[in-house]
Amino acid sequence: MPEQPYKRPPITEAVIGIRFADPIDSATLDKVASAIKPLYPREDILKGVQFQMRLDATLPTAPQSIEQIGYRLSSPDQTHILILMPTPPSLTMSQLAPYPGWDQFFGRFCRDWSVWKKSVGYIKITRVGVRYINRIDIPMVDPIVYEEEFLNVYPHIPEVLGPMMQYSVQTQSYISDIECVLTLNSSVVPSPLIGHRSFVIDLDIGKDSPPQNDTDLYDLINRIRVAKNRVFEACITNRARELFEPWLE
Amino acid sequence: MAGVVVHPQMPTVLGPTVLPGVEAFGVEANEIARLIAKLRNEPSPASLRSTPRLAPNEQPLETRLFDALAAVKILTAQVAMHLDGEWRRKLFAQLDSLHDPEEWESGDEPVSQSSFATFLKAILSIRPERRPGLGLSHSGNLIAAWTTRRDRLTIEFLPNDRVRWVLGRYHDTEEEPARYAGHTHVSELVEGLSPHHPEHWFSDASKNHEPS
Repeated sequence: MPEQPYKRPPITEAVIGIRFADPIDSATLDKVASAIKPLYPREDILKGVQFQMRLDATLPTAPQSIEQIGYRLSSPDQTHILILMPTPPSLTMSQLAPYPGWDQFFGRFCRDWSVWKKSVGYIKITRVGVRYINRIDIPMVDPIVYEEEFLNVYPHIPEVLGPMMQYSVQTQSYISDIECVLTLNSSVVPSPLIGHRSFVIDLDIGKDSPPQNDTDLYDLINRIRVAKNRVFEACITNRARELFEPWLE
Repeated sequence: MAGVVVHPQMPTVLGPTVLPGVEAFGVEANEIARLIAKLRNEPSPASLRSTPRLAPNEQPLETRLFDALAAVKILTAQVAMHLDGEWRRKLFAQLDSLHDPEEWESGDEPVSQSSFATFLKAILSIRPERRPGLGLSHSGNLIAAWTTRRDRLTIEFLPNDRVRWVLGRYHDTEEEPARYAGHTHVSELVEGLSPHHPEHWFSDASKNHEPS
């Protein structure tokens, strides 16, 4: 049986993100982008502009703008994406569907992290986050899909209001065993499939002031992954699981 | 939550929410907005795109073609869990071939995202066993064609979930094919084709009758 429980996992995007304490200058980012380019042939420049404005009327008023350059690197099929940004200083690795499983995904992170460290050296890490965006496509047998038959996360409203056409739930919780904060967003989204109603469950689990050495960092990310699976399974019902075609044990 | 009848239903294993519940609604509106904003996850990396310095028609051809391809591959990722891996890989090969810069006709438009979204909806609705041949209209609409013997079915995938289809089918010894056409919402495509036995083109059995 493969390491993931479903033949058709509903993951549309998986992300591991690292944020740093200090700004990263453009020469350093250029160096990383150049070192990692063989792994991500497509390179796009991301631009951001920061404005510095003086609010004191007695001082010169001309605002100064600083152009910030980041990189969006990607594979030819666009399933592997790496974002390098100077502000906020960060490295973000993304996997679009089809999701290949944790071993491959985490392996790619370790590979890219190694390239990053060789190019940049040590910069203090201020946050580590793992995010999984899942979309659950439910076939519409009836005009109304009762989300509670598939999900355990949904708004509860009085019956007199009738079925919900749209909703969005946003929560934040503390996961004590890994000392991380879970941000959960769930909503109805337009379905890309005919005759379906689709719901997103977007789970972001992050930790501020994470460990700085690789062994503990990797351990934390793996523990976040376990927690993420636990949270996701808690958010869905068996009827939803059937849609993802569980592997038979 | 006494006295409150509207609240999010959460699995108990997630524990209490960190943010105050009822109490938070007593503070100023901007504080509520700030808390809601804090809860929102950031835009996903896949949604981050570069802002081109030039208008699309002023960009180098290769950039335009690559950007169009990248956009539709990201769209495909949205439904990749419903697609067979080999089917997806061959689809990308067809799209890459259609956008070969060396074969590109100046004045043509690369595949439009909106047309491609219609294509994905149609394909996931029809689920044909046989892969279609693909082409592009001058305006960037994707066109799929299936041929069985002399019979041909062509579907143009238009923006905004519209499809235009035409089929020609020879009966017995007739010299001219019977022709039928439709222009519908993509959700009505299967129904529109069904009187014409579309399995004649879509099923693997019909593959043996492909023209050589």
